[in-house]
Amino acid sequence: MIALIAQRIAQAIVVLFVVSVLAFLLSTQIGDPVASILGLQATPADRMALNARLGLDDPWPVRYLAFLSDVLRGDWGISYATQRPVAELVVERLPATLELAGVALVFSLGVGLPIGIYAAIHRGRPLADAILSLTVVGVSVPTFVIAILLIFVFSVVLGWLPSFGRGEVVQIGWWTTGLLTPSGLASLIMPAAALAVSQVALVARLVRAEMIEVLRTDYIRFARARGLKPRVIHLSLALRNTLIPVITVSGIQLGFLFAFAVVAEAVFQWPGIGMLFLQALGSTDVPVISAVLLLTAAFFVAVNMIVDLLYAVVDPRLRAGGATGRPAGA
Amino acid sequence: MLKQTLMGAAAALAMTAGLASAEELRFAGATPALTMDPHATNDFTTTAIFRQVYDSLIGLSQDMELTPALAESWEYIGDNTWRFTIREGVSFHDGSTMTAEDVAFSITRQKDSRFYRSLFGGVQEARVVDATTVDVISTGPDPILPRKMSRMFIISQDWAEENDVVEIPDLGADGAEAHSIRNAMGTGPMRLVSHDPSSETRFEAFGDYWDETPGNVTEATYLNIGSGPTRVAALMSGEVDLVVDLPLQDIGRIESAPGFTVAETPQLLWMQLEMDGTRDQALETFDHDGEPLAENPFRDTRVRRAIAHTVDAGLIAERVMRGKARVVGIASIPGFGGYQEDLDQRWETDLDRARELLTEAGYPDGFATTMNCPLERYVNTDEICRAAASMLARVGIEVRVNGMVWPEFARMLVNGPDSSFHLIGMTPDSRDTQDAFTGYIMTRDPDANEGFFNWALFSNPEIDERTRSLTQTFDNDERQALYRDLLTRARDAVNAVYLHQPMIIWGMRDGVDAPIRSDATVTLQNVTVE
Repeated sequence: MIALIAQRIAQAIVVLFVVSVLAFLLSTQIGDPVASILGLQATPADRMALNARLGLDDPWPVRYLAFLSDVLRGDWGISYATQRPVAELVVERLPATLELAGVALVFSLGVGLPIGIYAAIHRGRPLADAILSLTVVGVSVPTFVIAILLIFVFSVVLGWLPSFGRGEVVQIGWWTTGLLTPSGLASLIMPAAALAVSQVALVARLVRAEMIEVLRTDYIRFARARGLKPRVIHLSLALRNTLIPVITVSGIQLGFLFAFAVVAEAVFQWPGIGMLFLQALGSTDVPVISAVLLLTAAFFVAVNMIVDLLYAVVDPRLRAGGATGRPAGA
Repeated sequence: MLKQTLMGAAAALAMTAGLASAEELRFAGATPALTMDPHATNDFTTTAIFRQVYDSLIGLSQDMELTPALAESWEYIGDNTWRFTIREGVSFHDGSTMTAEDVAFSITRQKDSRFYRSLFGGVQEARVVDATTVDVISTGPDPILPRKMSRMFIISQDWAEENDVVEIPDLGADGAEAHSIRNAMGTGPMRLVSHDPSSETRFEAFGDYWDETPGNVTEATYLNIGSGPTRVAALMSGEVDLVVDLPLQDIGRIESAPGFTVAETPQLLWMQLEMDGTRDQALETFDHDGEPLAENPFRDTRVRRAIAHTVDAGLIAERVMRGKARVVGIASIPGFGGYQEDLDQRWETDLDRARELLTEAGYPDGFATTMNCPLERYVNTDEICRAAASMLARVGIEVRVNGMVWPEFARMLVNGPDSSFHLIGMTPDSRDTQDAFTGYIMTRDPDANEGFFNWALFSNPEIDERTRSLTQTFDNDERQALYRDLLTRARDAVNAVYLHQPMIIWGMRDGVDAPIRSDATVTLQNVTVE
C-alpha cells in the first residue's frame, strides 16, 4: 500500500512538472505580454524597461527556473492586467468554480443514476432505450448552445432565473458561497445544468452496464430464487455493487467538470477560474495563465490519485499487484 | 375592512415611491474595468468607467469639444508653458478641498506613467504659481496640450500619501495589491462604492459635485458580461437597464422588441488598410507565378491610388458593418481637433480608373500579396479583410488574408514592424488631427518620436516638413490652413486606404435616457432613469 502511494505521488510530480513546462512554453508563445500591457502606444524605451522589469529578456530556461522557484515558494506573481497578486485572484475565483462543478456533478448523478437503473432493469423495452438515446443528445449538443437555450427560455421568455453572475454570495472565511442565498441558488441552476447535461449520458450508460452485469451474478439469482421482491433486489442488493465503479468515475468526472466549466462560465459570466483564464488569455496575462493551467493539472492529478487510492482500499487485488491493475477509465 | 386594506396598500405604495427616489442604473459591457487607478492604465473601457469618479483637468462635452472642468480656463503664455486657472470650491469625495497642489501632484504622477508616455511624455514640469494657478511646462511647444489634458485625471494628494500610492503601482512588483486599484479619491460626479474587477463596479452620486447634474441617477453598477448573447438576454429580461457593447447581429432584435431603444454614435477610431511605403521588396508580395517582383508595388502612388479606388468602403460599411459605420475620407474624424468637414470626401470607387493606374504602374495583371488581419479587438475585422480581398481580386490583385489574434498581431508590429499590407484601427491618442500626422503618418523615426505608429512605413518628406511646422504653430488660422494642406496631401498620396468609423451601439430599456458619447463613456450625471 505504501509503495502504491509513493508510486502515485511520484507519477503526480512528473505530470505536474510536464504541465508546468508546457504552461510556461505556451505562455511564451501566445503573444507579447509587454505589447498587451502597454498597448501599441508605448515608446521603445518603456517597452524595454518593462521587458527588463518582468525579466522577459532572459532565455526561457532561466525564466522557467525563476518561475518554478517562485511558485514553489508560494509566490505566484502579480497579474499583468489587474495588477493584483495571482494567488489572491485564484483564491477569490476558486469557490465559484468548485461550487459550480460540485452542483453539476450532483445534477448529473441525480439524473443519470435513475435513468441508468431504469434502463438496466427494463432492458430492451422501447421506453428505456428511448430515454437512453435521449441522453446522447446531451453529449452531442455543445454546452454553450445548451446554455444559450436555457438563458433564452428561463431568463428572457419566462423571467425565472438570472442570466448571468453568481447572485448574492455569503463570505465564510476565505470561501464565498452562493448556496446560502436564494439569488445565489437561482444563479447556480442554469450554469450547473448546462454543464451537467453532457455528463448525464456517461453516468446513465455506466450505471446501466454495471447494473446489467451485477444482475447476472449468482447472488442476485439466489435472491430471486428466495422470492425477494424485485424492488429490494434491485435497489438494495444490485445497486450497492453497481455504485463502486460509479463513485470512481464520478471523481474523475469532477475533474472534467472543473476543467470544462470554462464554457459554462463564459456564457453565464460566472466569476470562476474559467472566466479568469479566458480574461487572462485575452490580455496575455502570463502569470495568471500559468497559474490556472498548473492549478487545473494539480486538481486533476489529485482527484485521480485519491480515486486510485480509494479503489485500492476497496479492491484488495490492487494492493497485492501494485499499480498495474488500474481501473478502466481512470 | 376593504378600505383599510386599500389604505394600507396606498401607504405601502407611498413608501416604495419614497424609496424609489434612489434611482439605480445597472449597465453592462463586454470587458472588465481593470483598475480604478486612473494613471495605471490607458484601457478604453476602464477609462470610461473611472471617468465617473475622477474628473479630468479639462472636460469634454457630449460632442467631444473641450469644456472648462477642474481648470476654468487655460492660455499659452510662451516659453513652452501653458497656464491653467484652477476652479475654486471643488471637493474630493472625502470632503477635502481640491487645491492647485493636488493638480500639480496628479500631473506629475500621470506624466510619468508608462501608459501615458505618448500623451504626456513631453510634459516636463507642473508648477504651482498660486492657489488657483498651475503652469505646465513642456520640453517643446505643444499647441494641442489642452486637448491632451482632457485625459489628465486629478487625484487627491493627501489620500495618495496616506494610502502609500504616491507612486503608480508597478507591474511585476512584489508584495500586496496597491490601495488605488480598488479604491479611489477623485472629484467626479460619482463616488466609488466598491470595485470588484471580476464582476462589478458600484457607484453612488456625489452630493457635493461642483457641476450641474442634469440626470437623476443616485446609484449605478457597471457589470462585466463577456458573452454577447448573455448581455443581450440580461437587457431583455430586465436584469440590466443599459448595454454598452451591443453585438451587431442583435441590434435588429432589440430595435424590434417593444420597450427597448438603440442609440449609436461613431467611435473615436477608424479602420484603414496600410501599405508598405519604404521597403525595396514588399514582404509576402509576388507576381501571379509566385516569383518576386522587381520592386515594391506599394511604394508607387499609382498602385496605392488603384487600391483606394478599388476597395469600396461604402459597401463594407453597408454590408459587413450592417450600416453601423461611417465612411471616412480623410485622416481625421468629427470630434477631432482640426477635422475639416468639407474635405471629407473619400476616393470614388472606380475599377476602370484603378486598372488604368495599375497598368501605368506596370502591373496590368495585378500581383499577389498577403494582408495581415487582426482578429477580435475591432468589429468584424475578419469579414472586412475578406471583403477587401475579394474587391481587390477584381483588378487582379490577389490577396491572401492572414488572420492573427491580437497579441500575435501586436507582436508583429512592435517587434518589427514586419508587415507590408494590413488592416488596423487608427486611434490618435490626443484626439487631434495633428496627432494622426505626428504619430501615424510621418516617416517612422521612434528616436525623434515621429511616426511611431506608422507601422507600414509610409514616407513623404513634404508631409513630414509641414507636420513639424504644425507642431510649432499656435495661431488658429495658420493651424487650420496647415491641417487642410496636410489632410489633402495625405489623401492624394494615399498614406493609407481609409475605410470607416465603426459605431458605438448602446441598447437600453424604455425609461432610460443615456446620452451617448464617442469615447463610449456613460456620463452617469447626465443619465435619467424612470
